[in-house]
Amino acid sequence: MVADDTQLLARLLAGEQKAFKELVTTYQSAMRAVAYAIVGQRHVEEVVQDAWLSVVRHIGSFEGRSSLKTWLLTITANSAKGRYRQNRREVLLDDLPSPHGTIDDDRFSPGDGHWLVAPFAWHQDTPEALLTENELRECLEHTLLSLSELQSSVLLLRERQGLELEDICNLLEISLSNVRVLLHRARLKVFATVEHFEETGEC
Amino acid sequence: MLTCKEQVARSSDYLDGQLSFREKLMVRHHLMFCRNCRRFIRQMRLMQATLKAMPEKPEEGVDALAERLAQQRRKDRS
Repeated sequence: MVADDTQLLARLLAGEQKAFKELVTTYQSAMRAVAYAIVGQRHVEEVVQDAWLSVVRHIGSFEGRSSLKTWLLTITANSAKGRYRQNRREVLLDDLPSPHGTIDDDRFSPGDGHWLVAPFAWHQDTPEALLTENELRECLEHTLLSLSELQSSVLLLRERQGLELEDICNLLEISLSNVRVLLHRARLKVFATVEHFEETGEC
Repeated sequence: MLTCKEQVARSSDYLDGQLSFREKLMVRHHLMFCRNCRRFIRQMRLMQATLKAMPEKPEEGVDALAERLAQQRRKDRS
């Protein structure tokens, strides 16, 4: 078991409120992202609530074969699947238009595949410097909301929660190649948003 | 040699370590010679780091939820 997990687990088993607070603060947003991917925005909160109840009920039998995080996310995915599985076949690779487009074929010469419009050099070279612009932050939020539920969940699980691609496949029950496609499309749209902002100074 | 378009198409797989050894070398080779694509990859990494660093909306009702969960656990235990 991961060392951090062992200590936290002992406190959870003892029913310590602060330990539960730590658990909720650390993992609830990842749980929400998993639920969002499977059931969509409308049922996220119910699924996450269900998942928490299930976590408390089963914490006594957690054996540490996976990390606490993986265990929590698996419970969340199961709660989501049990209640409201969407018809995923239709939505799986839906690619919705994004506010600032993407890096698509138009950016390249049809002849030799070189950049027609080279990537614009951003003014900032650290995340902190980029994020000091409130407007860019809002602009990014806006683009994330424009992605399909599955695309944005996969992106958030990877970039914010640091999940491995295999874990994302297992939790969401989608193939590795689909995860790769979803991730790539989402990233190019977010890239296009930052580029647009850096180039024009507006959203 | 890969074209820029082909490099961009492989960029996520490159960043996620999903390319075969041979494809990885092809991307590296392209990057060595192409300033635009080096910039693209650098800015893709910066975009990833920026997503990671974006402040999350503060969770609401954490204390109440934690209290409820802890109570339930203590009840289950006894």
